[in-house]
Amino acid sequence: MKVLSRKKMIQVNGGLLILLALSVIGCTLLGPVPVNLSQALENFFSADPNAEILFRARLPRVLLGVAVGGGLASCGVVLQALLRNPLACPHILGVSGGASLGGILGLILFPVGSSTGDQLLVAEISWVPLTSFAGALLSMILIYRFSQVHGRIHPYQLLLAGVIFNAFVGAIIMFLNSIVDFYQAQALLFWLVGNLSTRAYLTVGFIWVYVLLGLFWLWSHCLSLNLLTLGEEGAMQLGVEAGVTQRQIFVASSLMVGAMVSVSGMIGFVGLIVPHVMRVIVGSDHRLLLPASFLAGGIFLTWADTFARTLFAPAELPVGVVTAFFGGPFFFFLLYREQRKRLFYEPSR
Amino acid sequence: MLLEDTFKMRSFKRSLPVYFFLSLLAQWFIHEGLAKEPSAVTAGMAVPKRIVSLAPSVTETLFALGAGNRLVGVTTYCDYPPPAQKIPKIGDFVNPSIEAVLAQQPDLVIGVPEGTDQEKVRLMERLGLRVLVVSVSGLSGILSSIKLIAGALGKEEAGEKLVLKIQTQMNHVRKRIEGARRRRVLMVVGFRPLVAVGKGNFIDELITLAGGENIAAAAPQPWPHLPVEYVVAKAPQIIIEAGMGSEREESRKRWADLKSIPAVKEGSIYSYPSDKILRPGPRAGEALEELARLIHPECFPHSNRKHIEESGCESSKP
Repeated sequence: MKVLSRKKMIQVNGGLLILLALSVIGCTLLGPVPVNLSQALENFFSADPNAEILFRARLPRVLLGVAVGGGLASCGVVLQALLRNPLACPHILGVSGGASLGGILGLILFPVGSSTGDQLLVAEISWVPLTSFAGALLSMILIYRFSQVHGRIHPYQLLLAGVIFNAFVGAIIMFLNSIVDFYQAQALLFWLVGNLSTRAYLTVGFIWVYVLLGLFWLWSHCLSLNLLTLGEEGAMQLGVEAGVTQRQIFVASSLMVGAMVSVSGMIGFVGLIVPHVMRVIVGSDHRLLLPASFLAGGIFLTWADTFARTLFAPAELPVGVVTAFFGGPFFFFLLYREQRKRLFYEPSR
Repeated sequence: MLLEDTFKMRSFKRSLPVYFFLSLLAQWFIHEGLAKEPSAVTAGMAVPKRIVSLAPSVTETLFALGAGNRLVGVTTYCDYPPPAQKIPKIGDFVNPSIEAVLAQQPDLVIGVPEGTDQEKVRLMERLGLRVLVVSVSGLSGILSSIKLIAGALGKEEAGEKLVLKIQTQMNHVRKRIEGARRRRVLMVVGFRPLVAVGKGNFIDELITLAGGENIAAAAPQPWPHLPVEYVVAKAPQIIIEAGMGSEREESRKRWADLKSIPAVKEGSIYSYPSDKILRPGPRAGEALEELARLIHPECFPHSNRKHIEESGCESSKP
């Protein structure tokens, strides 16, 4: 493995950071309705429509998109490395589904006698992310257990477990959808289609805290991840405590997925596409790949959401539709490449 | 693995004729069973006595025509008028249960083409039930659907009367708001995502008739999803939340941050916790008047605004 120079680290991440900052500014300026920027800045503190569109309606949504996109991409990176499966990502493995289910149960069970706005905000930043986290963790453990064949993770078994788990969760959500009353039912559908919407700054802030916590936790395992991609036995001979690393990564990524899903529902394919593209560009050293994927994921989802907001203006699309539109074909491309590789390397079949 | 799959597929294919035969047999049994019920098939165009309604608006229409006592089955969403809640349920609006409908041995089933699974409606027809499908798209659709239903019930006179009543209510509102300037209105039915009443929706027609200008009508869909910023840019003077279960205080808090919106500044945010105002039924005239009272309170000098806000659409119940 090539030595990772500090220079490359700064160059790549610095460049991506600048791109991300430009994207945030650009996407805040882009939208279905034109905004007068100078007026918005002038009237920052007063009730001016320009200022409210920019700073109250768009900016929180864009910032939320960065956290969710970045988080999904970094979870994709570590899951692909840990499970040594190029098709792994929180959405496909069913972890997002588990988080969704956890969040819904949390919302239903949350003791909101008279659901005032304040109580709902408290639920939004603490209780619901927590139950989502529990759901994500539980589903991750389940899927991990079921995907092992003779003590090894079997790649197809893993995907199969994910697919089945997703279908199961979808069924439970539709079941809940049909037994709760009409008004709650409408709100439940939000969890099934990934959707970014304007949230209070407090919520956005808390989600950022959860995501960054998870990200740094994952980052602390980068070297072990590098070795684990070479194989569990090899890594263990080199002093990696595979079990401990695995467990910590599961918890950290569940924390991130739980927080993200609790505000955006199930957004697919970000965790799949971004890690692959970044691996091609920056290489597979996780010390660089993880932060780079986080930044790139943020850039990708921010732009995807800008498309979602503006493509059919004034109506908007769920952002999950946009990411799936790019992601679906990409998924098939990956499958095709896998197939080619196998044909090429294993002519005996 | 591939080979195994092929085998499974083959055995499935081999048994396809068996499945087909079984399903034919099942259908034959159902047909025979039904044909023995004289009420369903042979009664033909006789005045129906046992009616199943597949939509809340149809249920309301039947009650408004004075034929509520003939209903033997309604959907789980049919909660108005209150006696409708006691009638046996045959499933929900989108997905009625055919078995539950058959069990009621109805001599007429009335549904709407919007919302309900049409495949099921056709199946009911194939099973020998007399089915009436009435379109309720647009205000004119509502009026003609009332006449159609009244005709099928042999209650033409009551139908004419009901239609006349709604038209009178509409004329009354038109006269009241004559000369008033149109005010920008947003009607919200879901928040996250923000779903509004858009173009091609009968409520959009009601808003226009009530002297409002629906800011969401720029979107071509009947229920468009809108970004919050669009609402800020269009600066509605009145925001009405309906069918979200939210009370007025909650609705106000939701919008409180966006003080540049005139509706927020002036406190013109209202809410109908239930979806009753959204139903394309016989209360469209009343709904129109209530909307007009919210949009142009100055045109209704004796209107008791507080009363309307608290009791929602039911306040001027006949």
